[in-house]
Amino acid sequence: MSTGWLIGSAVIAVIVAPLIGGLLRGIDRKLTAHMQGRIGPPIIQPFYDVIKLLGKKPMVAGGAQLVFAYAFLALIITAVVFFALRQDLLVVLFILFFGSLCLPIGALSVKSPYSQLGGHRELLQFLAYEPILLLAAIPIALKAGGFPITNIFEYGQPLLPNLWITFIALLIVLAIVMRKSPFDISGSEHAHQELVRGVLTEYSGPYLALIEIGHWYEMVLLLSILGLFWVVGSLWWLSIIIALGSWFIMLIVDNVTTRLTWSWMVKFAWGAGITLVALNILFINLGWM
Amino acid sequence: MLGIKNHKARGSIVFLTAAVLIISSIFYLRQGSFPIEYSPHPNWDWVVLVLNYAILAYFLFVAIRDFAQRGISRHNILTVVLTLAAGIPLAIFEFSQAPHTPLEVVPTLYIDHLSVIMCLIVSIIGSLIAVYAIRYMKDHEEHRMHLGELKETTQPRFFFFMLIFLGAMNGLVFANNLIWLAFFWEVTTLACYGLIRHDETPIAITNAFRALWMCLIGSVGFSLAIMFLWNSPLNTISLAAVIENGAPVLLLPIALLCLAGLTKAAQVPFQSWLLGAMVAPTPVSALLHSSTMVNAGVYLVLRIAPAFQGTHLSTLIAIYGGAVFLITAILAISQSEGKKVLAYSTIGNLGLIILCAGINTSLAIAVGIMLLIFHAISKGLLFLCAGAIEHHIWSRDIEDMEGTATKLPVLTGITIAAMFSMLVAPFGVLITKWGAMEAATGIGVWSTLVLVLLMLGSGATTVFWAKWIGRLLCHSPMPGRAKREPLIPLYHGILLILIGCAVVFSILIASVYNGVIAPSLTEAGYNAASAFTTSAWFLKSSIGIFAAWPIFIIIALALLIPSLATKAKPEESHASYMCGENVEIGTDEFVAVADERTQLKTGGFYIENMLGEGNLNRFVVPIGVVLLVILFVLVVI
Repeated sequence: MSTGWLIGSAVIAVIVAPLIGGLLRGIDRKLTAHMQGRIGPPIIQPFYDVIKLLGKKPMVAGGAQLVFAYAFLALIITAVVFFALRQDLLVVLFILFFGSLCLPIGALSVKSPYSQLGGHRELLQFLAYEPILLLAAIPIALKAGGFPITNIFEYGQPLLPNLWITFIALLIVLAIVMRKSPFDISGSEHAHQELVRGVLTEYSGPYLALIEIGHWYEMVLLLSILGLFWVVGSLWWLSIIIALGSWFIMLIVDNVTTRLTWSWMVKFAWGAGITLVALNILFINLGWM
Repeated sequence: MLGIKNHKARGSIVFLTAAVLIISSIFYLRQGSFPIEYSPHPNWDWVVLVLNYAILAYFLFVAIRDFAQRGISRHNILTVVLTLAAGIPLAIFEFSQAPHTPLEVVPTLYIDHLSVIMCLIVSIIGSLIAVYAIRYMKDHEEHRMHLGELKETTQPRFFFFMLIFLGAMNGLVFANNLIWLAFFWEVTTLACYGLIRHDETPIAITNAFRALWMCLIGSVGFSLAIMFLWNSPLNTISLAAVIENGAPVLLLPIALLCLAGLTKAAQVPFQSWLLGAMVAPTPVSALLHSSTMVNAGVYLVLRIAPAFQGTHLSTLIAIYGGAVFLITAILAISQSEGKKVLAYSTIGNLGLIILCAGINTSLAIAVGIMLLIFHAISKGLLFLCAGAIEHHIWSRDIEDMEGTATKLPVLTGITIAAMFSMLVAPFGVLITKWGAMEAATGIGVWSTLVLVLLMLGSGATTVFWAKWIGRLLCHSPMPGRAKREPLIPLYHGILLILIGCAVVFSILIASVYNGVIAPSLTEAGYNAASAFTTSAWFLKSSIGIFAAWPIFIIIALALLIPSLATKAKPEESHASYMCGENVEIGTDEFVAVADERTQLKTGGFYIENMLGEGNLNRFVVPIGVVLLVILFVLVVI
C-alpha cells in the first residue's frame, strides 16, 4: 500500500475511531439497560454527555492532573495513528501503554483518598493485562513473519485458525481495558460504591471529557487488534464481525458477573491469560500450529 | 589524595581528574583504528602479581581484625575462607604449574570498541558522579557532625577509593591477560568494600563484608578458570584466545568466568550485597550501579558471549537472566525505600543484559550493549536525584517524598523525567526492551519461557515506577505554580547534563548504534548487518521496525504542548472529594467523628503481605541457587 494511502487511512482512523467508540458505548448502555429490564438512554447519549462536559467550567485538583489528562488522549491517538500506519505492533502497544499509564499517574498526583485508591488499582489492572497483550504480539509475529502490522496483511492467510488460543486470552485483556465486570476494580460504573469513581473521581468537566474520548479510542484500537485475526482474503469482513462479536461477549459477561478483588484479577490474568498465550507460542515453536 | 584535608584543594583535584578522564576517554574514541594492542614491559606483570597478593592479604587482614574487634561472624569467616580459596589456586598455578613466567600474554591490553564503550561510561558518568560527590559529601558530613556521629572529616579516604575505582574499571575493560583482569577485578572489590564501609556504622561494616565475600566467590571462579585454562589443551591465559576458541572444550572455565560476572552484577542469589550497599553515601550507590562494579560483571559476560554461542550454557544463561528480571521487578513493588527500588531495578536490568547475552544472536548482543549504555546513564542519574532529594528532606523513604513536586519542582521534574527514561517510549531503555523482545522471538522452543519471563517482568516494572512517580506528584490542591527551589550547581548541573545525555542519545540512537555498537559486534565476530539496519530516523531489525524520530517528535508534542500551554487558573482549583466532609477549600482536612478536624493522609500500595521480601526471599534465593547449580551440572556433563 502506498504511503499516501497509509497517511489517508491514519487521518480517517483519527476522525472515525471516536465516532465508532462513542456509538458502541451508546449501544452498550442501551443493551445493558434492556438486559436489566430498563429502557436506557438514546444511543447517541455518550456524545451528548461529552459535549456537555466540554462546555463545563474547568476544575482541577492538582496541576499535574491536567497535563496527564491531555497526554492520555494525545498518546492514545498517537497509538491509533501508528496502528493505521501499519507500524511495528510492539511499538503501537508501547505507545498505548504510555498513554494508559497517564491516567493512573494523573489520578495519583492528587491528594484525594478515592483517586489514590483508584489510581493504585488501575496500576494493578495494568499489571494484569500488559504482559498478556505484549505476549500476544509474539505468536502473531511468529505466524506473520514479523512484528510490523504490514506483515499481517501480506501474510495472506487469516491468523485465527492458528491463534485461537491467543485470541481467547485477548478477550480477557479486552474485558480489563473496557473496565467491565468482573474486572472493573479501578473505577466502578456506579459511583455509590466504596471507591466512588476511583481513578476518575477527581476528573471533571472538560478533562473528564478528554478521558472519555481517550477511552473510545482505546476500545476501538483494542477491537482493531482483535480484528487483525482475520483481515485478509475475500472474507476480510469477518474481522469486523470478530471485533463486534468480542465486544458483545464483553457486554454479556459484564451483566452476568460482579466485581471481584484485584488479587483475584491479577492471578486470573497471569494464570489463565499468560498460560494460554504461552501455550500458543509453544505450539507454534514446536510446529504444531 | 589521602593526605589532603582541605576541602577546596580536594575538590579541585577531583574536578581536574574528572575532566582529564572525560577528555581522554573521548580522545580514545576518536583514535580511530581499533583494536589497539599494547603490552607493557614484562616487569609490570610481576608488579600486578605482587599487588594482587597484597590485596588478598589485605582482605585477610581486615577479616581477622574484624574478628578481633567484633567477634566471630558468618561474614568474617566466609571472607577468610573465600580469600584463601581464591588465593591458593592462583598460587598453585603461578608457582608450581607455570614456573617460567606464564604471566606474559601478548597483548596484555586489548582495546576494541566494546572496551571503549565501557571506558566512556566509566570515565564520563563515573567522573560526573565524583564531581557531584564533592558537594554531596560536604552536606553528608555536616549532617552527621550535626547529629554527633562524626568528629573529623573522612572525605580523603572516600575520594581516594572513588578515584581508585574509576582507574581500576578502566584497567579492567582494557585487560586481555587474565591475571591482569583478575587483578583489576580484585581492586574494584577492594574499592567497593572501602566505600560501603565508609560511614563505619555497624550495619555499614557488616554490609561491606557481605559485599566482600560475595564478590570473592567470583574471584574463586576467576582463579579456578585461570587454572583450568592453563591446563586445558589451549594452554593460555589470554582472554582473546579463549573467546576465539570457545566452547565446547573450554565450557567449564567459561562458565566459571560467567559466575564471576554474575556475582559482580549482583544477580540472584547474590543480590543481597548490592542491596546492603545502600547504606553507603548515595554517590557510592550511583557509582556501583551505573558506571562501575556491576557493569564489570555484565561486561565480562557480554565479552565472552561469543565463546559460548550455540551451547546449552547460553540457553540457560538466557533463562536465568529472564528469571532475575522478573523476580527483582516483583520484589521492587513491595519496597518503600527509594534506593532499594532503584537497586532492584538495576539488578533486573542487568538480568535483561544477561538474558541478551544468553540469546546470543547479533541482535541480542547489540541490544545488550545498548541497554548497558542507556541503563548506566539513567540509573546514575536516578541515584543522584535520589541523593539530592535525600539532602533536602533527609529521608530515603518514598512515602516521605510525597509531594516533593511542590517543594522541589526542578529536582522532582528531573527525577520524573529520569524515571520516564527508564520506562516509556521513545527512550533508549524502552528501545532495548523492544529489541530484547524481538531478539527472543522465534529462536527455539525454550524461547517461550524467556518471553513469558520478559513480559511479566516488564509489566511489574511499570507498576513500581508509576507508583513512585505518583507519590512524587501527589499534593493537595493549591493555586498557582510551585516556587522553584534554589539551584545548586553541583547537584542540578550534573543532573541536567545526565538527563541531557539520556535524551540526546535516545534521539541519536541510530548514530550510537552505527558509531560504536555495530563495530564492536563485528570485532566480536557477530554479523552487525543482521542486528539492525538504520537510517537517520529508524532502527530496523529483521522482524520489526522502531521509527525512533517520528515517535520522538509525536510524543514530545503530545507531552510538551499540554505541559507548557495549559495552566490551571487559581479560580479553577478545587479541593479533593471527601464525601462532602471537607473542612474548607485550600486545606486537606476533613470533618471526622464528633466534628473533629482530621488531616487527610494518603499512602502508596506496597502489598507487603504478598510480595514482601520476607515472603518472597524464601523462594527467590533457592531459585537462584538451583538455577546456577543446574547451569554448572549441565556444563560438567
